[in-house]
Amino acid sequence: MRDRQPLVFWTGFAIIVALLIASPLVLPPFWARFVTEILIWGLLAMSSDILIGYTGMVSFGHSAFFGLGMYGAAFVLLETKPPSLWAALAAGLLAAAAAAAFVAYFSTRLREIYFAITTLIFSQIFYIVIFTWTELTGGENGLTFSRPALAIPGLFSLRFTPMVLHWFVLAIVVLSYLLLRRITQSPFGMVLQSIRENEARTRAIGYPIERYKMVAVMLSGLFAGLAGVLYALQNQFAAPNFVFFVLSGEVVIYNVIGGIGTLVGPILGAAFFLLLREGLSRFFTEYYLIPVGLMFIAMVIFMPQGLLGFARRWLNR
Amino acid sequence: MTLKDLDKGQVTRRRVLAASGIGLGAAVLSPMPLRYALAQSKPYRIGSEQPLTGVAALGGKTALVGLQMAVDRINKAGGILGRAVELIVADDESKPDSGRRKVEKLVTEDNIDAHVGGYLSNICLACVPVFTENQVVNMISVCLDTTLTTSKCNKYTFRPYDFAPSQAKAFAPHLVNKMGKRWFIAYADYSWGQSTRDAYANEIKGNGGSVVGTLGIPLGTADMTPFLSKISGDFDGLFLIFFGPDSINFVNQGTDLGLRKKYKWAGDGAVAVASQLPALGDKIEGFVGVDRYVPVFDPPLDTPYLHAFYDEAVERLKKAGLENAAPDRYVQSNFEAMNALKLGIEKSKFQGRADSEKLIAALEGLEMKESADFPTGDKLLRKEDHQAFVRETIFEMREGKYHLLDTIPWQKSEVPPACTFA
Repeated sequence: MRDRQPLVFWTGFAIIVALLIASPLVLPPFWARFVTEILIWGLLAMSSDILIGYTGMVSFGHSAFFGLGMYGAAFVLLETKPPSLWAALAAGLLAAAAAAAFVAYFSTRLREIYFAITTLIFSQIFYIVIFTWTELTGGENGLTFSRPALAIPGLFSLRFTPMVLHWFVLAIVVLSYLLLRRITQSPFGMVLQSIRENEARTRAIGYPIERYKMVAVMLSGLFAGLAGVLYALQNQFAAPNFVFFVLSGEVVIYNVIGGIGTLVGPILGAAFFLLLREGLSRFFTEYYLIPVGLMFIAMVIFMPQGLLGFARRWLNR
Repeated sequence: MTLKDLDKGQVTRRRVLAASGIGLGAAVLSPMPLRYALAQSKPYRIGSEQPLTGVAALGGKTALVGLQMAVDRINKAGGILGRAVELIVADDESKPDSGRRKVEKLVTEDNIDAHVGGYLSNICLACVPVFTENQVVNMISVCLDTTLTTSKCNKYTFRPYDFAPSQAKAFAPHLVNKMGKRWFIAYADYSWGQSTRDAYANEIKGNGGSVVGTLGIPLGTADMTPFLSKISGDFDGLFLIFFGPDSINFVNQGTDLGLRKKYKWAGDGAVAVASQLPALGDKIEGFVGVDRYVPVFDPPLDTPYLHAFYDEAVERLKKAGLENAAPDRYVQSNFEAMNALKLGIEKSKFQGRADSEKLIAALEGLEMKESADFPTGDKLLRKEDHQAFVRETIFEMREGKYHLLDTIPWQKSEVPPACTFA
């Protein structure tokens, strides 16, 4: 039975990836674009799972990492002629990683609620700077820019049609998932899980806890920044709303709905939440947040392990 | 196959297919008038993205009243070119990501022919690429950001109402010549406040006045006392650039600190929009503002068009649950934006999205005459930047009511275009 588990996992994985590859070919344009967006939010949710699910640290700073990734890419796309995808990607990752290193340095000495509050404060600082520094960031209006081509100089250059963009995003999300999966299963990932289970004991064994936590925050911030770059590419704008802490709250909700500590769960949570919101908003126009909220409360009470945990339990029955 | 055959029961699959084929062929090959008539039976699908939830929900609901009012009037009068108007509303949640998604839905799934709406400037800007990629005319109806018709102007974007540079040009002579030479500007410290500050500072200086200082207050600051205590010195007037709760906080706290007694107060019309007068109370007394529309009927604004607009809007606001609100510039600009689109459709014989180029050509340089459709007066939608210039109203608040001081014709509010279409 145990030998069959990897086979079942990889078969399921291949089927899901194949369905996602085919989705823009069969879905109407709006829904095809929606799936791409879900993948991006899913990547952001997955990045925060490194902290919430694997290290036991609830971060409200992910909006800052996501937003800085977005702004980093935006600056480069506005400044380079012709706009370069790879430079935008590098700038976004660099901005997010620098912010994550800064936040990690100060916040990882703290635990639980104190860590959460510190990350929230840092995200608000970034938000206020971006919101008021209009000359550089466009302030409340943000930045708008053109989408670059998917190109490798001298080899090929491809226009980012919705379909090409979808496959590009899918490739990055799949690679990110595989990489994060490998990391969480590595000895480093085991130490993170050990910190989550019993920080004092992990320290007693001799692991430098703060250093591990710092790397976890930076890793998480880096992937959040990557999601920010992808969002900027898809939507051609960067806005301060994405740096506001409310976005971090939504990411925590994606994790809780999908199932923390699973990597796939948060993607599932993001998909469920966004689809639910989209579906209900069509029937209840401005009142749809009421049923969304009620459903979220019901899920927390009746499915505390999230959708994935519930599915696992149901399958094992 | 005839009706007689049907009566005889001689209907075979082959005959049905043959008849269907003939019918379909006839429809395709039918002369233009018949196809035109068929097309006419379809309503125009007009999308509108508005903030119905989130921070701007109150303003969005007010804006929607104006838009719905225009659509109902159009349909009651037989539609446009004989076709009814179907309004498809999407809630942008006051957030750019949701706004963008909802506009994608309007354009790709609901297949709207054109769009009228947009309240928050950041959402208007975020949605520009969607309209451009899908070649849909976007008649914005509230967004104030200057760049929408300057550095970020776009072939598909039209703003059929005023913006800060034109308001400043219309208002500055009054400020400098009738209120005082030396001004201090306090503003909401974000893009709209900053760009409006720059526009007024330029015009005040250009009219022989001076700006002795400026003070930005972060958006949403509840306790403004630390900021207000910095406003001191020798100047004649305090110019305010705030809206919503920020203007209420500034006016209330500034009055308590004695700023109203010390200086004359003037500012953007957003400080004293009709919907927030109850919250401002008598502390807004003496404030002088500029706006494209205020609910006042002093001559020359004592027109039957403005009376009719006001009466119907008040009724509709009540029905929308906004009991004590008088119509404001958001109701007005949505109402007139829809009517401007109607005029463009009529002029271009626009039938659907495929005719967007024709519609753009018709809207460029569109002259709107004072009428029931444009109760606030004559206006021009300029070809060079798709920016409208409208009659500006300078008013003073006395005994809780607007009193007209002056009206400035659109020709005197025109500023040079600063747009290059891609």
